[in-house]
Amino acid sequence: MVSATLLSTAGAILNGRHRAPPFLLRKELVFGCFTTFSKLMYLREASSSNNIVDKSASINEVEPPNASQIEVNKFSSFASQWWDSRSNPLVSMNPVRIKFLRDAVHQFQVQRLSASLTEDYKQTTHRLPLYNKQILDIGCGGGLLTESLSRLGASLVVGVDASPKVVDAAKLHSFHESSRLFTFVHNERQNDNELGYNGIPRVHYFGGLTVEELAAKWHSKPNVNGSSEHLFDIITALEVVEHVPNPRSLLQAATSLLKPNGILFVSTINRTIKSYAIAILAAEYFTSKVPVGTHNWEQFLSPKEVETLVCGGDDSMKQVLLSGMVLRPPFIDMQWSLNYTDTDVNWIGAYQKHSMN
Amino acid sequence: MSSAPIIRQLTTQLGRPSSRKFHQCISRLHSTAPRSKHEHYNIVIAGGGAVGSALARLLLDDSFGLDASSRNNRSRPLKIALLEQRSSPPPLCDVVDSSSEPNSSFPHPRAYALSPTSLSYLGPSVLQSLVRSNRCGIYDSMQIWEHDGPAQLHFVGDDLDGAINDGRLVNLHSYLQKSDESDAVKPKPWLGAVVEDAPLVSAIWDELRNDDRIDLLDNVQIKTIEAPSYNAMGKIEPPPHVYITCTRSQKDGQDENHTLSADLLVAADGANSFVRKSVGNFPMMTRSYGRKAVTCTVELDTSKSYQGMAKTAFQRFLPYGPIALLPVWNSVDTNQTSGPIYANVVWSTTPSEANHLLSLSSSDFVSTLNHYLCQGPNVNPSLLADSTVPCINGSVFTKLAKEIDSFLRTANTALTMGTWTESPSRNFFRMPPRSVRVASPILGFDLTLSHVLTSSGSGSRRGGYTSPRVALVGDAAHTMHPMAGQGLNLGMADVHALANLVKEAVDSGMDVGGTDLFLDRYNDDRMLKGWGMVGGVHGLHEVFGYSGSVPNSVADTEQYQRGGSVGGIHSLLGYSRSLGMNIVNGIGPVRRVLAEVAAGATPKGIP
Repeated sequence: MVSATLLSTAGAILNGRHRAPPFLLRKELVFGCFTTFSKLMYLREASSSNNIVDKSASINEVEPPNASQIEVNKFSSFASQWWDSRSNPLVSMNPVRIKFLRDAVHQFQVQRLSASLTEDYKQTTHRLPLYNKQILDIGCGGGLLTESLSRLGASLVVGVDASPKVVDAAKLHSFHESSRLFTFVHNERQNDNELGYNGIPRVHYFGGLTVEELAAKWHSKPNVNGSSEHLFDIITALEVVEHVPNPRSLLQAATSLLKPNGILFVSTINRTIKSYAIAILAAEYFTSKVPVGTHNWEQFLSPKEVETLVCGGDDSMKQVLLSGMVLRPPFIDMQWSLNYTDTDVNWIGAYQKHSMN
Repeated sequence: MSSAPIIRQLTTQLGRPSSRKFHQCISRLHSTAPRSKHEHYNIVIAGGGAVGSALARLLLDDSFGLDASSRNNRSRPLKIALLEQRSSPPPLCDVVDSSSEPNSSFPHPRAYALSPTSLSYLGPSVLQSLVRSNRCGIYDSMQIWEHDGPAQLHFVGDDLDGAINDGRLVNLHSYLQKSDESDAVKPKPWLGAVVEDAPLVSAIWDELRNDDRIDLLDNVQIKTIEAPSYNAMGKIEPPPHVYITCTRSQKDGQDENHTLSADLLVAADGANSFVRKSVGNFPMMTRSYGRKAVTCTVELDTSKSYQGMAKTAFQRFLPYGPIALLPVWNSVDTNQTSGPIYANVVWSTTPSEANHLLSLSSSDFVSTLNHYLCQGPNVNPSLLADSTVPCINGSVFTKLAKEIDSFLRTANTALTMGTWTESPSRNFFRMPPRSVRVASPILGFDLTLSHVLTSSGSGSRRGGYTSPRVALVGDAAHTMHPMAGQGLNLGMADVHALANLVKEAVDSGMDVGGTDLFLDRYNDDRMLKGWGMVGGVHGLHEVFGYSGSVPNSVADTEQYQRGGSVGGIHSLLGYSRSLGMNIVNGIGPVRRVLAEVAAGATPKGIP
C-alpha cells in the first residue's frame, strides 16, 4: 500500500502534477457544481413534494414533536445577534469546534476510505479534510458552523433548525455572502484560489423542522439499489442536544442519516458541579457572556450518556474521539482550546458508523 | 466557467429569492465594484517594508500554523496583495553585488536590531540568505555601562540557554541547519542580529516573488479607502468589504487605476501611516522624547584588542541617552573576509547636541564618538558630591547621608564581588574598539513615543489596533525610543499575532475581518504587549535620563554654563540605578528574565 502510494506520487511528480492548482482543480469544481446542483434538485423535490417549506411557515400551529416551544422562542429572539461575536459566545467557539472536526475527519474518515481513493482525491482531502463532503448541521442556528463548513470545501451543507426565525437569519447571511461572491466570480480572472477561500456557499437551510422530520422525508425518497449516496458523510449536532426534550430520538434520527464510515459530532456540556459553576453561574450570571436562562443544568449530558444514546442501540456506532473544550487562562478574551482530558464542562465527541462487514 | 450555472445555483440555494430583489443586490454590488479593474483579496497589506513583507511571508508560510492536518501543504487558499509606494526592491543578490567593491560599499546606517524571535519569524530561507551574504551583524554578547556610576551589565548568549531548552525560544542554530559543524562545540545562542533595511526587505521580497498566491503591486499610490463603519459589525448582514482605490504608475509613464476590495486591510505603512489617517478612528498617544538620534556606520580599528569582540554589542548610557555600537556584516567568518570591519552607531541625545554632531566633520565626529564611547564606568564614586555637603553642613542629615552613602557603596561592592563567583568574565569591563573613520552619511532623526489608544464610547470599543476590516501593525501603531532596539521587534510580534489569527480564521472557514472576534483578539493581545514594551522602554529612558555628577560628560558643559550644581537627589537616584544594574548583572535569574524578554521569549510561568 505504502509503496503504491509512493509510486503514484512519484508518477504524479514526473508528470508535472506536483504543481497542481493550489486548491480546487477546475474540472473537480465544475463536476462539484454539477453534482451539487443535482443534489439540490433532489432537495427541492424532497421538500416540495412533502410540503416541508409550507410546514415551516405554519410552525406556530403545529408543534414539532421534538422541540420545546420555549427553547425555540428563546433562540428566535436571539436571531438578530447571532453573528455578533461580542454577544454570541458560539462565534468564539467556532474555530475550536472546526479544529476538532477537521482533526477527527482527517484522522478517521480519510484513513478508513483511503484504499478506494484516487491519489488526487487523497491529496485534496489531506489538505482540506472536509472537501467534497456532504454535511448535515443539526441545530444550525444562524448558520455560523454551516457557512464555515461550506467555505472549507464541503460539496453540500444542509442546515436544519427548529426555529424558523434563526434560519431566516442564516439565509439572509448566506444570501449576502453569496451575492458578494457572485460579483467576484463574475469579475475576476479565473483563478482557483478565490473560489477556494470564499467557497461557493453550497448551503441549504430548513427552518422550523426537527431532525426526525427531516430524516422521515429523507428516507421516504426511494433510493437506487439501497445506495447511500443521498446520506451524509458528516453530521454535526453541536450545542443542541441539551436544548431538546428527547436527545435520544434526535441522535437516532441523526445516526440513521449517516453514510457508512460517516462521522457524527456531538458537543454539549457535561453535568458536573464544575459545569454548574462555570456554564451557569459564571457564564450567565457573573460575566453575562451568555443570556440568563440559556442553559438548563438538568439537560446537560455527560460523554458516557451520549455514548450510550448513540451507540447503545446501534452496534455499528463507535465513539472514536472525545475532547474537552476549555477556555484559555485569561478567560476574558474567550479563547477556546481543545483539552483531551478535561471534559468536565464543554466537550465534543466524534462517533463513527463502522461498516457492518 | 460561465456564470449561468452559478446564478442558477445561487437562486436554487437561496430559497429562490424574488428575482427582482436578487438582481437589485447584484447590480448594487456591480455599481460599487467596477467590472474592469476590480480585484478581491483576502488580505491587502499597505506597505511593503520590513513589517509588511514579513507579514506577507508569514501568511504564505504553510509550515507555520495551527492546524496540523494542513501543514506542509499549500492548503490555505489565501489571496494576498502587497501595496508598495516605491518601486519593488531589487533582489538580494543585486544588493550584495552592487556593494562588492570594497571602497564604494558600506553598511547602510538604516538598520534594525532583531531579536532571535523576530529573526525566526523571517523563516529559515530568508535568514539563511541574509547570513550567507554576510548581511547580518550577529551579537552573542552585550555590554551596557553608564557614565557616572560603577554599574555595568553583561548579557551573553548563554543567558538564553534556559529559554531555548524549554522551547520558549527558537534555537536559531538549528534553524540555520549548520549540522555540518562538529557537534562537540555548541555554538553560543545569539542575542540578536543587526540587519540593514535594504537587504532585509530584498530577501523577504525574493521569497514572495516565488509565490503565486500574492500580488506584489509596486509604485502604488493609495487614493481612497472606504472601510465599513462600527455599526456594520455584528449584524446579520455581514459588513461590506473594505474598498481601496489606488493608482499604479507604470514604466511607460502611464498611470493605471485599480480598485481592490479586501476582507482585511493591514496598515504596515509606517509611523506616518496613510491608512491609519484616512480610515480615521485611531486615536494616538504621541509624545516627543525631546531627543534626536544620530546614526551612521563607522569603520573600526582592528589593530589591537579587537579579538573576541566581533560579536559584541556595546551601549553606554550618557545623561541624554545612550550611544550604541552594534556589529554589522559579521555573519560570514571574519577570517575569510579581509575587508574593513564596520559597526553601526546609534547615538541618542538632545536635538541641539545631535545637530552639533551632524554638523561635525567626519574626523571630528569620530574623535567625539571615541571620546564618549571609549570610557569605562566610574568605580564607586562617592554618592555625596563635595558641592552638596556644605548645603546641609553640620546637620544630622549629613551624618545620615553619609551612612546611606557608605551602605549603598558597600552593597554595590558586594554585588560586584558576588558576580565574580558566577562568571568572572561578566565583571571584566572591555573597552569597545575605537572607530577610525565614518563610512556612511550621518543621519539624524527625531525620537517620539507613540501608541494607539482605545476609547470606549457608546459601550463598544473604538480605536486601538483595529477598526472594522482594518488592522494596524508595526510603526503604524507604535513608535518608541531605539535604546532597547525593540521597535521592529514589537512590529514583528504584531505581525506574528495577526498572521496566526488570519490562519485560524481561514482554517475555520471564517471571515477574518467580518467579525469582531479576530479583530478583538488581535487588539486585546497587542494593546497589552504593546503598552508593556513601549512603557518599559520609556521607563528605561526615564531612569537613565537622571544624570549624576560626571566630569567630561556631554551634560556638564551645559550645566556648568547654567551655573547649576549637580548632585543631591539626582545623584541618589543615579546611585540606586547603578545598584539596580548591578543587581540585575549579579543575580542570574533576574538577568536571564531580562535577556529573555529582550530576545522575545515569554518568561517562565507566564502563559
